[in-house]
Amino acid sequence: MANKTSAALAALTQAALAIPGIAAADGATVQTDYLYSHYDEAKLAAGHSASGESESRYQIDSHLFRLSTALDDNNLGLDLTYETLSGASPWFILPDANGKPVQVMSGASIKEQRIDVQGSWNRPLSSLLDGLDASATLGYSSEDDYRALSGGAELGYTPATGALTYTGGFSYSSDEIEPTRGASSPNVIASADKRTLSLYGGVAWVLGPDTVLQGSLSYLNNDGYLSDPYKLAYLTDSAGTTADERPDGRIAWALTGRLRQFVPQLDGALHLDYRWYHDDWKIESHTVDLAWYQTLPGDWQLTPSLRWYSQSQAFFYAPYYGSERNDGFASSDYRLSPFGALSGRLALSKRFGGWLLGAGVEHYQAKASYALGEVELENPGLVKFTSFDIRASWRF
Amino acid sequence: MSKATRRALLCLLVLPLAACSLQPVQPWQRGNLAKPEMAWEPDPLVAGYRRHVQFSKEAATGGPVLGGGGCGCN
Repeated sequence: MANKTSAALAALTQAALAIPGIAAADGATVQTDYLYSHYDEAKLAAGHSASGESESRYQIDSHLFRLSTALDDNNLGLDLTYETLSGASPWFILPDANGKPVQVMSGASIKEQRIDVQGSWNRPLSSLLDGLDASATLGYSSEDDYRALSGGAELGYTPATGALTYTGGFSYSSDEIEPTRGASSPNVIASADKRTLSLYGGVAWVLGPDTVLQGSLSYLNNDGYLSDPYKLAYLTDSAGTTADERPDGRIAWALTGRLRQFVPQLDGALHLDYRWYHDDWKIESHTVDLAWYQTLPGDWQLTPSLRWYSQSQAFFYAPYYGSERNDGFASSDYRLSPFGALSGRLALSKRFGGWLLGAGVEHYQAKASYALGEVELENPGLVKFTSFDIRASWRF
Repeated sequence: MSKATRRALLCLLVLPLAACSLQPVQPWQRGNLAKPEMAWEPDPLVAGYRRHVQFSKEAATGGPVLGGGGCGCN
């Protein structure tokens, strides 16, 4: 009896010591999740378009399924994503008569689909060391012109006092691209590959009964073909275009801080995330994410959130070029341009017994004026989108 | 790196030292910490989807999250 009691007490203590977010879904044996999202990019404004007319951009429909189960000490998960994409994407940028950059979009509407399968596993390793647990993932993603095989592993350790949790892990992805559009053009490669290695380590501190903070450092190493075969850059001296050409290596560092603060008086939780990012393409970025999880009577939950993002430009980026750079690099991709972005999201969910139903809406707008610091020329291809999602979970 | 960035990084590095001087939180005081809305990512499905969209529209990426491959997003 004494042994049973102490075993039960030890299990309860272990559960109570755990940092939130690691444990399986509320101890449920099986959980299924489904999320449908419709992503809709706003039309390119006539004033930003080389044709002088507004032009349609991407629309993406995504279906995400997740099945997770606990078998003894093992938590197993299987994620399946199916996406259909259609629309046009930015191709290259011209200067208008006043030197203002205007966007040329890809001609024909693109139609693509993406399938992504991810398996995950997690279990405590207390037989090796009390407070130790391990996780691993393996995934495969396939598009018409792109394939990625990825995997990773993570170790977490919470010493007996429970005040700190240490986490360390790595992810690796091996990607292959075989362009389908413009494949006959001398500007477009037949096929290429790239590899991405990510290493990270962090510490979480329980600062009080309602407060937990995490700090972590990530290292990312990309090598291989990092250009975009579907984009061009415009040269004013030849009044012609050149292929998008980027360095074949990229090393980045990211420092992340995450705070979770429960407010008992309001029965709500504040989430504050900050990330600083720097890479050897000279891009520096700041991201602040703020969310409030409000529990309401009747098992409802309302979650408003705000996100601000800012990045400086890659050292070789320009909306268009006078002549070719000496190093041969060229890219007018808006994702390498200096800009900031603001987004707001509102989500609502309700529990019905073992069911959870929810919906969310998000609006995102990128603008040069949202960036930290002055931007001389705004990239005309900066994106604005709205996405709607509905989700359902069933625990049994 | 700007002066403001250096200051923010310094604060992040000093915080763990502040934690060492705090009173330990006992297991029976952790009810609120264990609530689902206090997780790093209360809804991993939505969080993963949003991360994928941001990854395809912005240059910066990275963080303490396991897994995820690339995409040909353009």
